[in-house]
Amino acid sequence: MRKVPQSVDDILLDYLDGNLDRTELERAEYQIRNNPDWQSRLEELRLINSLLRETKIEQPSKNFTDGVMTHLHQYPAQKGFSIKSGILLLVVVLMAIGIATVLVSTGAFDNTSTSIDLNQIEVSKKFIKTPLPSFSFNGKLIVNIIIILNLALAWIVLDRTILKPFFQRRMQSGH
Amino acid sequence: MVMTKDPEHSLIERILAGEQHLYAEMVDKYKSYAYTVAQKILQNRPDAEEAAQDAFVKAFHHLGDFNRQAKFSTWLYRIVFNTAISYKRKYRHKFQSIESTIVEYREEANWMLEKKDKKKYLDLAMAKLNAADRTALSLFYLEEFSLEEIAEITGMQANTAKVRIHRARQRLADELKNLLNKEALTL
Repeated sequence: MRKVPQSVDDILLDYLDGNLDRTELERAEYQIRNNPDWQSRLEELRLINSLLRETKIEQPSKNFTDGVMTHLHQYPAQKGFSIKSGILLLVVVLMAIGIATVLVSTGAFDNTSTSIDLNQIEVSKKFIKTPLPSFSFNGKLIVNIIIILNLALAWIVLDRTILKPFFQRRMQSGH
Repeated sequence: MVMTKDPEHSLIERILAGEQHLYAEMVDKYKSYAYTVAQKILQNRPDAEEAAQDAFVKAFHHLGDFNRQAKFSTWLYRIVFNTAISYKRKYRHKFQSIESTIVEYREEANWMLEKKDKKKYLDLAMAKLNAADRTALSLFYLEEFSLEEIAEITGMQANTAKVRIHRARQRLADELKNLLNKEALTL
């Protein structure tokens, strides 16, 4: 038996759903009467149709509503990091802190200071008459600030992914 | 968006005003369809029940965000659909192991199968459809929802819902034919 083209399936499904207009219906019925491929495909689709028509509403357990009402004020916890991705992030942050600390302690940033003089900017000369301050940046200081920020981030990740879920589970099992 | 005047709106107002016990009425009214939607996606009764209950709790907490121009049931079943899909993703390994279970073909005395056997094979074929198509198909045959509502619940484009339901039935017909042919070959 040859495979029936997609368009024939569409016509036959519309035929079964009663979605064909008069002309389309006459054409489809002519093909069904005279074409064995159409006839057999119609039977296959008709079987599916009749089985699917038996689809029934499924009933949950008797205490379904009570279960919902009991949990009404236990709003599902906001999804944060999964433990796996949290640990991965924590490892990456700790590695970055470690590398930065080693570099700072070996003096890699000791001579990395620069300054920005705002008076050298063309725009400021045009519009501002009074002299502007210059800022100096110390590379070591910046890296130290980054290390502190990373430590804070590591603590937040540790709290969200490991400590908080751990203590929540302990509290739940304690009840 | 389906614009309909929903009879639940005054009930929703009262729940939001503090009469939270009234939410039980809404749960009772919609629990069967909600559970059916979750069951079609998860194909596992305890998980479907948990997902449907979780969806009702989420809906309660977002009741204030519900657009009163829309139909409450469609909005609710969309939450159920999304919750069940996220359960399916969360427990992917479990569901994959169910879906990849090898079907064992029992020998039958007669290859002209009874309708209950065909229903069994239909369920097997249905399990091979993706969750959105399976849910859309089931909602279509429950004859309670328009194609627009089915599209809204399952997150499809309205104009593709009909096409997806057609294609799902074609796939089912092909799958069922294959399963029945294999059954016949074992005799």
